[in-house]
Amino acid sequence: MNLRQAAIIARRELRGGLAGFRIFLLCLLLGVAAIAGIGSVRSAIDAGLSSEAASLLGGDVELNFTHRTATEEERDWIEANSTASSEVITFRSMLKARADSDEADLGISQVKAVDTIYPLYGVVELAPAMPMAEAFETRNGLPGLIAHTALIDRLGVGVGDIVRLGTQDFELRAAITGEPDGTLTDIGLGPRTMVLTESLTESGLLGAGSLFESKYRMELPAGANLPALKKEAESLFGDHGMRWKDNRNGAPGISTFVDRMSAFLVLVGLAGMAVGGVGVSAAVRAYLARKTDTIAMLKSLGATRATVFATYLMQIGVLALLGVGLGLLVGGGIPALAIPLMADLLPVPVETGFYIAPLLEAAIYGLLTALIFSIWPLARAVDISPAGLFREVSGHANRWPRWPYLLLILFLASALVTLAALFSGVPTLTLWATFGVVTALIALALAAMFTKALARRASRSRSMQGRPALRLALGSIGGPSFEPASVVLSLGLGLTVLASIGQIDSNMQSTITQELPERAPAFFVLDIQKDQMDPFREAMLADEGTEDVESAPMLRGIISKINGMPAQEVVGDHWVVRGDRGITYASTLPANSSLVEGEWWPEDYNGPPIMSFSADEAAEIGLGIGDEITVNILGRDMTAKIANLRELEFSTMRINFVMVWSENALTGAPHTFLSTVYAAPEAEGRLLRVMATEFPNITAIPVRDAISQVSATLDSLGSAIRWGAGTTLLTGFVVLIGAAAAGAEARVFEAAVLKTLGATRRRILYSFALRSLILGATAGLVALAAGSIAAWAVMYFVMETGFELHWGSAIAIVAGGALANLLAGLGFAWRPLATKPAQILRNRT
Amino acid sequence: MGSSVLSLENVQLTLQGNAGPVPILKGISLNVEKGETLGLTGPSGSGKSSLLMLMGGLESSTGGNISVLGQDFGNLNEDALARFRRNHMGIVFQSFHLIPTMTALENVATPLELAGDAEAFAKAAAELEAVGLRDRTDHYPSQLSGGEQQRVALARAAAPRPDILLADEPTGNLDSKTGESIMDLLFNLRDRHGATLVLVTHAPELAARCDRIIELHDGVLA
Ligand SMILES: Nc1ncnc2c1ncn2[C@@H]1O[C@H](COP(=O)(O)OP(=O)(O)O)[C@@H](O)[C@H]1O
Ligand SMILES: [Mg+2]
Repeated sequence: MNLRQAAIIARRELRGGLAGFRIFLLCLLLGVAAIAGIGSVRSAIDAGLSSEAASLLGGDVELNFTHRTATEEERDWIEANSTASSEVITFRSMLKARADSDEADLGISQVKAVDTIYPLYGVVELAPAMPMAEAFETRNGLPGLIAHTALIDRLGVGVGDIVRLGTQDFELRAAITGEPDGTLTDIGLGPRTMVLTESLTESGLLGAGSLFESKYRMELPAGANLPALKKEAESLFGDHGMRWKDNRNGAPGISTFVDRMSAFLVLVGLAGMAVGGVGVSAAVRAYLARKTDTIAMLKSLGATRATVFATYLMQIGVLALLGVGLGLLVGGGIPALAIPLMADLLPVPVETGFYIAPLLEAAIYGLLTALIFSIWPLARAVDISPAGLFREVSGHANRWPRWPYLLLILFLASALVTLAALFSGVPTLTLWATFGVVTALIALALAAMFTKALARRASRSRSMQGRPALRLALGSIGGPSFEPASVVLSLGLGLTVLASIGQIDSNMQSTITQELPERAPAFFVLDIQKDQMDPFREAMLADEGTEDVESAPMLRGIISKINGMPAQEVVGDHWVVRGDRGITYASTLPANSSLVEGEWWPEDYNGPPIMSFSADEAAEIGLGIGDEITVNILGRDMTAKIANLRELEFSTMRINFVMVWSENALTGAPHTFLSTVYAAPEAEGRLLRVMATEFPNITAIPVRDAISQVSATLDSLGSAIRWGAGTTLLTGFVVLIGAAAAGAEARVFEAAVLKTLGATRRRILYSFALRSLILGATAGLVALAAGSIAAWAVMYFVMETGFELHWGSAIAIVAGGALANLLAGLGFAWRPLATKPAQILRNRT
Repeated sequence: MGSSVLSLENVQLTLQGNAGPVPILKGISLNVEKGETLGLTGPSGSGKSSLLMLMGGLESSTGGNISVLGQDFGNLNEDALARFRRNHMGIVFQSFHLIPTMTALENVATPLELAGDAEAFAKAAAELEAVGLRDRTDHYPSQLSGGEQQRVALARAAAPRPDILLADEPTGNLDSKTGESIMDLLFNLRDRHGATLVLVTHAPELAARCDRIIELHDGVLA
């Protein structure tokens, strides 16, 4: 091979211009821009999160305790190791408007009780603006309170109005418009209210057993040794339920979420890249088809196969670099320009800039895709025999490329998948997604071949006689052109991604909204004190709309040890040992559960502490009867042995606990009750008011609200992903237009001949429309099948729920596919129909 | 004049070229009688194909009148012209112009089907047999030689039994021996069905087989 020679020829041929490569460039541009854009936004968020880590966390370090405040010893340590520190207590409660009225509105809120030092970092933005001290100071005997705008709107109150938390009245001083240490993850249940901790002394809200968290934020001296401090704190207080966070990862929840989300979107983007690959392949094929004579000539002049391959690979390489470069410009540039404009609207901090890593990642994907999809047509083109120049036959032998080229394709494809798996950080998901895309491509290729064969047969069948328009449509689908295959592949793959996402989305939504248990509870009620339990039940049942009240004692604790060893070391990072768990006690087997192994203890059991453990979780973390579990409840270690395992029915939305202890083991510990109230929807408002006036310390979580929160979250997730899928579809449409454009010459000729033979324009249009519809519907049907299988796999294996085909989105996919292709086809039908036959037929040979 | 099948009156054609309007036909007046065979000759570029396209309604004139079988083309839109061709005209081109995705039989049957003929395929098969291609009916154009393709094109033009046959250098792309057999076929078909024939050719010996010869020079009749 002579590379210099190849380069010279390549340069000469490239002078011919880019006309045939518009689709090629656009496909690469879109694919690369989507991935580069997703990566750039992700990097901007990551950079924003890490540069504001301390302010997001509220300090350089945060020590976190559940259901208790720090002990004297812990406070001393915090003081000794920091230059400043602040205590923050968070819990959920109801904020009541117009404290004096019974008819007043209520809103659930996440309350943050702070000290005068808060916030250590950043500022709380208030409207009207004022210092924190002024916002909280006591005026006319009423302490101040500030609340998030959303909550103020909901309650219909204004600055200066009196509101109530628990039994304590406050004056609303300002609206919170910005909170330095409040982020996405806090939005969960209810907007923010802030007060001074000392103003809550009389509120009855922070009593023993109520569900609050305390956080101690530390400002460290310069040069403090974080890892050493962490080690020390964990060895001193780790066994007492202390959790450590520091500014090396200030918002782990958000950044994990952002990372997962962008990994997922990049996978969708890669599917889009594969669609673009189909367009790349079609463009290269069309280009080389025009070069058949040149290639044969080069070979007859003595160029080796390798030289010819290099000649065209260089041309394609140059164009691929151009396409990828444009894609990087768009994908990196748009976020860089748009983010500063939108920074205030985003719920997370972002730092604008050009980030090299995501651009590099996108560039690698783009170049590999261009290569993988170019080599096949290229390898076949170099096999053109010089003898072809002197023969009439245009034998379009659909031979496979020779094996070295196939190996090269396989190698490059494996490299692409491996890199994607590494970059995404979710290798298993990447491999499954790749498997899905490759399977879908194979299915689509088979479908395209099958459709072509079927169309060819059908066009020649007797039943087609007398229907020249349909016969022409079928005949041109069944003909030797690559165009129908490229339509089915590109449109089909784009629609497959869309169909699977559509099906997953509707299945998730219906799982949450429609398939709720027949008797969904109206409220989960937390923090009911033992002596309030009977009056509470009576008060609830007094309302005619109440159907039932179920309750159970509840404590919260962290599993700290298993058989005397630190729990996380024994079972790893399982959710059961990660955060604090609800624990209950009972003397009989709870309803809606059944024993799997072991015996339930007698009602008057009074031996050593024992417990019942959920069978599923026990199996997952490798626990069995006889194992000893230590739980840290409010800083106190309590230990019990597993006496039996039982199955739970989580789907019923009843109160269920992983651990049920024997009553004698826990009665001493301070605890509250958790209640589930079943009531008709119209009774909910009345019940809520009764709870707020008669039991001000308790917190009711309206289930309907919670469900709509979850489905709203899913909605926004869904729309982010749909946008990702949208770019895939857009690429598909570009390929489609490319295919239609490639076929336009053939359509123009057919139209001219048919007109000569006496066909009206309507008839010709009808034939072209049929052709587009058949191809589009084929792509849509295969996409529907492939997308549904993918969606089923996700629902069944990942979500572990059932799957149901949602016809609405299914029909939309097939119809949309047919319509999109019809539009692309008709867009290119105009010229054939408008052109006078003479112009086409005059001197065409 | 009464039995005139084709009648052209001061017909002009000016096309829009890159460097402005190009006059191609500069006032052609001509009558072709029923059953007549007319040879149209002239040097390359003189406007023969253009004139034939006008006669077939595949191009619209920019001046003058064309009327075929008493029908004034100026009053017909594109679709009406197509319907007119379907019922009255067969056209043969120098480069065959078969539809590549249809077999020989399907190509021949298409104009019959467009005319709503229920026996389109039977008639098409008979027509192919008449041009000697009985065993090529299922071949695609790419599987046929040039001469065979032109025979299919002849069969396609003749199958609907048109009143008028227009042929534009039907042998121009073929070697002389094949060309001769195509010409034999063409005149044979015409003789059998008695159609009016306009044959464009620049070969004098072919033109000589016609009843009348006219010559075109630079857009005007000599
Ligand atoms: N679309 C066009 N625009 C401008 N000029 C054209 C066009 N098509 C053909 N011509 C010119 O019209 C003249 C007559 O062409 P044509 O009818 O094909 O001649 P012939 O068939 O006698 O060789 C030629 O000079 C040709 O270059
Ligand atoms: Mg000509």
